[in-house]
Amino acid sequence: MSGSVEKVSSGTTKTPADFLKSIRGKDVVVKLNSGVDYRGILTCLDGYMNIAMEQTEEYVNGQLKNKYGDAFIRGNNVLYISTVNRTLGDGA
Amino acid sequence: MSGEEEATVREPLDLIRLSLDERIHVKLRSDRELRGKLHAFDQHLNMILGDVEEVITTVEIDDETYEEIVRMTKRTIQFLFVRGDGVILVAPPLRST
Amino acid sequence: MSNNPSQLLPSELIDRCIGSRIWVIMKGDKELVGILKGFDVYVNMVLEDVTEYEITAEGRRVTKLDQILLNGNNIAILVPGGSPEDAE
Repeated sequence: MSGSVEKVSSGTTKTPADFLKSIRGKDVVVKLNSGVDYRGILTCLDGYMNIAMEQTEEYVNGQLKNKYGDAFIRGNNVLYISTVNRTLGDGA
Repeated sequence: MSGEEEATVREPLDLIRLSLDERIHVKLRSDRELRGKLHAFDQHLNMILGDVEEVITTVEIDDETYEEIVRMTKRTIQFLFVRGDGVILVAPPLRST
Repeated sequence: MSNNPSQLLPSELIDRCIGSRIWVIMKGDKELVGILKGFDVYVNMVLEDVTEYEITAEGRRVTKLDQILLNGNNIAILVPGGSPEDAE
């Protein structure tokens, strides 16, 4: 981490592998190609983007439709994995 | 209560492995859902399920009122094979803590 | 000769976009704009400060996201520096 100065400070790269390492155990949103969102805690994932999540909430058109204690999502359906944005008054 | 090493999920498929012989919920493409006992699976998420309840959800628009009519068609199937490429999500039963 | 655009590999073009804004048009009705942080051989991409545009029956829905890993599988077009607003 320290003292690696080969990249310009503004443009530090973060590869998909780096991203995946950084989000384990974090709150994430997984969006599927169908438009359905899953919010929960990322347990782990693999090279196919198969995902295991805990405390998963399923949102269809922004509306909570279902809750799962654990959930496995098949990677081919995944559009993106997002960190949870803490923008709108989320942190009290 | 269960042994800790048994319950560790190192890769996503471990979650499925832990659900063998348990009743699971499977979400499939084209608004199909299955609930049944997981007998076997492979890395493609092909699965063998027993005592399955299948629910198909269809939404129709009423010609006159333009209201959405949601229909749930249920049926039970004793034993079936699910092809993995149709699988969206697999949810094991709630793990007791 | 090396500056001839035809000599630039597609992956080199994407590599040059790291650290800058990129517009991603997906197969289907989705587009995203964000700062490209990195990508891999499948063109899975890490994007930051993302704006997502979805074309739905009710119109265009816009979502802001801090940081995402975008699956390369359904990407159709990449536009370095652009955004849907510029094209309107």
